[in-house]
Amino acid sequence: MEVLFQDLTRDYVERRVLDIPQGRIQAGSRTAIVGANGAGKSTLLNIIAGLDTGHGGRVFYGNEKKPFSQVSSQITMVFQKPYLITTTVEKNIAFPMKIRGFSQEEREKRVSTLCDDLNLTDLRKQKSWKLSGGETQKVALARALGFGPGLLLLDEPTANVDPATTGEIEQMLLKINKEKNTTLLFVTHNLVQAKRVCNRIMFLHRGRIIEEGEMSQVLTQPREGLTRQFIAGELIW
Amino acid sequence: MKKKVFAVFLVLVMVLAFGACAPSEVPQEEPEVLGTVILATTTSTKDSGLLDYILDDFTAATGWEVDVISVGSGEAMAMGENGEADVLLVHSPAAEKAFVEAGHADEAGRVLVMYNDFVVIGSMEDPAGVLANAGADAKGAFQAIYENEVTFISRGDNSGTHAKEKSVWTALSLEPAGEWYVEAAAGMGAVIQMANEKLGYTLADRATWYANRDSTDLQIVCEKDPSGVLNNQYACICVNPEKNAFIKVEGAKAFQEWIVSKEAQALIAEFGVEEFGAPLFTPNAE
Amino acid sequence: MNEIAQGVQEAMGLIFAGDPEIFEIVGLSLFVSTLSVAISTAMGIPLGVLLGTHQFRGKGIIVRITYTFMSLPPVIAGLFVFLILMRRGPLGHLQLNYTPTAMIIAQVCLVTPIIMGLTYNLVKEKAPTIRRLAITLGAQGSSVLWLMIYEMRVGLTTALVSGFGRAISEVGAVMIVGGNIKGKTRVMTTYITELKTMGDYSRAIAVGIILLIIAFLITTVLYNFQERESR
Repeated sequence: MEVLFQDLTRDYVERRVLDIPQGRIQAGSRTAIVGANGAGKSTLLNIIAGLDTGHGGRVFYGNEKKPFSQVSSQITMVFQKPYLITTTVEKNIAFPMKIRGFSQEEREKRVSTLCDDLNLTDLRKQKSWKLSGGETQKVALARALGFGPGLLLLDEPTANVDPATTGEIEQMLLKINKEKNTTLLFVTHNLVQAKRVCNRIMFLHRGRIIEEGEMSQVLTQPREGLTRQFIAGELIW
Repeated sequence: MKKKVFAVFLVLVMVLAFGACAPSEVPQEEPEVLGTVILATTTSTKDSGLLDYILDDFTAATGWEVDVISVGSGEAMAMGENGEADVLLVHSPAAEKAFVEAGHADEAGRVLVMYNDFVVIGSMEDPAGVLANAGADAKGAFQAIYENEVTFISRGDNSGTHAKEKSVWTALSLEPAGEWYVEAAAGMGAVIQMANEKLGYTLADRATWYANRDSTDLQIVCEKDPSGVLNNQYACICVNPEKNAFIKVEGAKAFQEWIVSKEAQALIAEFGVEEFGAPLFTPNAE
Repeated sequence: MNEIAQGVQEAMGLIFAGDPEIFEIVGLSLFVSTLSVAISTAMGIPLGVLLGTHQFRGKGIIVRITYTFMSLPPVIAGLFVFLILMRRGPLGHLQLNYTPTAMIIAQVCLVTPIIMGLTYNLVKEKAPTIRRLAITLGAQGSSVLWLMIYEMRVGLTTALVSGFGRAISEVGAVMIVGGNIKGKTRVMTTYITELKTMGDYSRAIAVGIILLIIAFLITTVLYNFQERESR
């Protein structure tokens, strides 16, 4: 699902934290959003996710350029610290499908497949509060994927996750993008991870898009000085 | 989720079971219930158990049920004045006459029903020496208690008993005050217990005294004053129907007429004989 | 001491012999308090949720009033309801004084603030997280409310049991609006008071024991529920 922003601004206490006159996320892409602390990455993500409605300007989704309210059921998000409903793993995963009216069999089928893909099958009946950090995040991801979102937003999903699980999650993301053409928008601090998972990159600095483009291109031949500094690890704020 | 629903269901079943398997008093005959009359009466009348004894007969005979609200005579008459009760059964003659004169009653006014008497009760020790010196002299008893400043519990609630007590103090031109004089603002039964706990004196109607006697360590120290000052007359008054649209005029009248009827008066005469050897009340309807 | 032993004996006797008068009184207590809690829940939870999820002018005052009413003295609730239902009061034409309905109304006045206040506290904490979850998972309208209630179920159940405990153990409100009328508005608490003033201590203790047993049973159900949901 393509995302377009126009004249997007966000102010917090008289400070403009986001200022994007024009921006675009390509449909079907795996785009990493990177930048230093305070660059506005999470703010941008929250706006796209419909969690933040205090912004100026407009955001459009899909080929038909619809507003959020019309596409909200196709967009979902995974957070750095996921919140699981206090019930079993499989009920968590099935929940978004249940409220969208999926049949019992369809839900069972998809829950099975997702658990297989993410090695959660043994944990299906486990209570969500008894999971480890990595397992929790995998469940959160499975839950986000069950109903087949058009746009999946991720805010540093593996920051608190062990390397093995990180790998599983990354594999899953690549898989669904390939098989279902799900658009991914991935905020991360980890450039190496960004390169592994994503094919496009958007670099934000102090609320503005400094550079945006194809991953290997931007990383090897950044146009902007700021981008160069960031990649070299010299950019702090 | 299912287990929670089941638990709630279980609780509901329990509740309904309790409610369902709780049969009310099974009536022998069931006359068509005409309605409910609110009878405001005194705690002494209720605590004596007389009403429990006779009211079922009233309902069987007339089809009217009675909601007994037992408060002090003062509040009972206030309820009558406000039209919140339909009929009164109280024992405070002076206040009753004022009530009727003020137009709060119906044309029948104050109808005599029964009387019993008051007794002065006190601890076995009797520190004021009442039993020895004033066993049949109410004024003497009160005087002795006053002079010795022994604990005296007053009803303090404008009830008939309280009115009687105050009239004796007034006759003696005494104003009881001080730590020994306790104004309880409670019903007769409660005041008797208080006297028991504090080993003090109090003025009680004989009926309630008999009913509570066995659970206390008190004794009668003064009774049957020949001057009649300890007599306690009960009367039944129907509230003036013009008070408001909700007064159950027929029911109130049915109660008043029934309680002075031969059957009711006979019931009153035999109440208490079995348990205490003597009737608690003497019927004296005209 | 003698009375207590007698009371326990009498309690066993009353329970197992199935004394119909006692059953009626206990049944009415349960009926009045359970219905009061049910009504209070139906009003208190949505109100608590609304209060916890919305900002508006005067919210602070409403919260403070709710907290104050959580410890509203039962006699005041009773007096207030009594005055309104009096024949010459504003709702006198309903002739509800001295009926179980009046008792339920009075108890609803007592219990609703409790449930509303406790719900508000739960929601205040959890609402932002659940709202965020709801939006990102596509839940809307009533689904969000049900999700919130589900996530707070242990806390809410505790609130309900608190409310029930308050209702079944209070005597001031039901005495004033009910009048302890035999066969009609007599509940365990008013009956115990009456028995005490009549000097029948052992029977009073017996009824008291029954009341405690019921409280214990309810608490046990809650405890089991809490255990199950967190194991």
